[in-house]
Amino acid sequence: MYRKQVRRRRAVLLLLVAASLTLLSLYYRESTGGPLHGAQDVVSTVFSPIESGADRALKPARDLVNWFGETFDARGDKSKLEDQVADLRDQLARAQTQQQEVKELQALDQLTSGGIVPDGSDPVTARVVGRSPTVWYSTVTIDNGSGDGVRIDDPVVAAQGLAGKVTQTTPNTAQVTLITDADSAVTARVTPSGATGVVEPDVGNPNDLQLDFLERGTRIAEGQMVVTAGFSTGDLGSIFPPGIPVGEITSASVQEQQAYQRVHLEPFADLRNMDFVKVLTTHSGGGKNG
Amino acid sequence: MILTPGIIARLAVLGAFVAVAQVVCFSKMDIFGTSPDIALLVVISVGMLGGSLTGAVTGFSIGLLLDCLLLETLGAFALTMLCVGYVAGRYRETIGRPTRPAVVLLGGSLTMLGALVIAAIQIGTGIDANVSFLVVRDALIKSLIGALLAIPVLWIVRLVVRSALVDERRAARRTPSPRPVESG
Repeated sequence: MYRKQVRRRRAVLLLLVAASLTLLSLYYRESTGGPLHGAQDVVSTVFSPIESGADRALKPARDLVNWFGETFDARGDKSKLEDQVADLRDQLARAQTQQQEVKELQALDQLTSGGIVPDGSDPVTARVVGRSPTVWYSTVTIDNGSGDGVRIDDPVVAAQGLAGKVTQTTPNTAQVTLITDADSAVTARVTPSGATGVVEPDVGNPNDLQLDFLERGTRIAEGQMVVTAGFSTGDLGSIFPPGIPVGEITSASVQEQQAYQRVHLEPFADLRNMDFVKVLTTHSGGGKNG
Repeated sequence: MILTPGIIARLAVLGAFVAVAQVVCFSKMDIFGTSPDIALLVVISVGMLGGSLTGAVTGFSIGLLLDCLLLETLGAFALTMLCVGYVAGRYRETIGRPTRPAVVLLGGSLTMLGALVIAAIQIGTGIDANVSFLVVRDALIKSLIGALLAIPVLWIVRLVVRSALVDERRAARRTPSPRPVESG
């Protein structure tokens, strides 16, 4: 009895294995239009609506399990992504800083290539490395000094206009006194009217400059541009070459012009935020403060 | 296991349901980069409960249905599951009813065997893929999941075919029923 059972079991097993191998072999050999492929298609077609219904019915269970898996994966990815974000933010900050610097340098080049650089002078581009911490923004330190040809009284321009002049040098650095400093005075001309005067800081208001000692009878309007006059009288001459943009007239009341011969202007140069300047290394031979 | 027409019908419904569920649900689950092979665990459970012949026939049938539903090479899953069902049944016939640790071990090792056999058949029948560590890793994770799910799946399959299990009836008969408390 037991032997009969064993024989029957072995026979069925052999039959099933043989059937599997035959199916494998025939299916592998036949073309896609063969009978086995056809039978497979029939079974698949019959079960297709059941599969469709089961897919919808079992979707919540599947989503629940996948939610656990995805949450686990997301936690693993979190620290990696945070590192990537920090790295990319760093790269972005560097790129934006470089872009800003390139823009500023291009503007600076544009300004100095417009004929304001006197013949024989060699402009030195310098980075602003130190800034006065006070609200008056009277001086800045640049990373070029006497070793680079920078001398005291050399004019300094920023990307948008006149910034100041060199007042102290070391071999590697120099101090630039800005046009907003209380001691600064620059001879300037209003364009297109041609009226001349002296640009001085408005004491107590670092964002404002005033153009003093205007000739009587000249009419100046808001929005007109002020440039350096660059006068020269014998041995006495301005240290600033003519034509460097200084600022724009912001206030020009008739009363103030008649009473004090004065108008107000806003400097073109962003003296608080400039990163690069150009030192116009030229010497006119001893002008005094403009 | 006593195979009556009713039990065969239950096994057929269970096999069809698990094959469809495997294709539409379990295979789409992502657990550590792989998916649980519940159909294989059902075949292992039937083998452990019903013996080698029942396991082999059930494995062949569910495997053949999977081949059709997945439009895979006909016979690949059938051969794999037939082998796994037979081995699980032979364990039952030679060693006896598996204990819980044995169920876990059988679930893990036979899932691993099934994963490797199906990978070998698929590569042998023209799947254009390199045999890499990923196949082994996939099989390892599958076997771990199989080990974890072996007991719950066996419990469910036992519920389906409980009335046909001779051993369980005998065990139930051997368990003494509590005596009624006599009052007075």
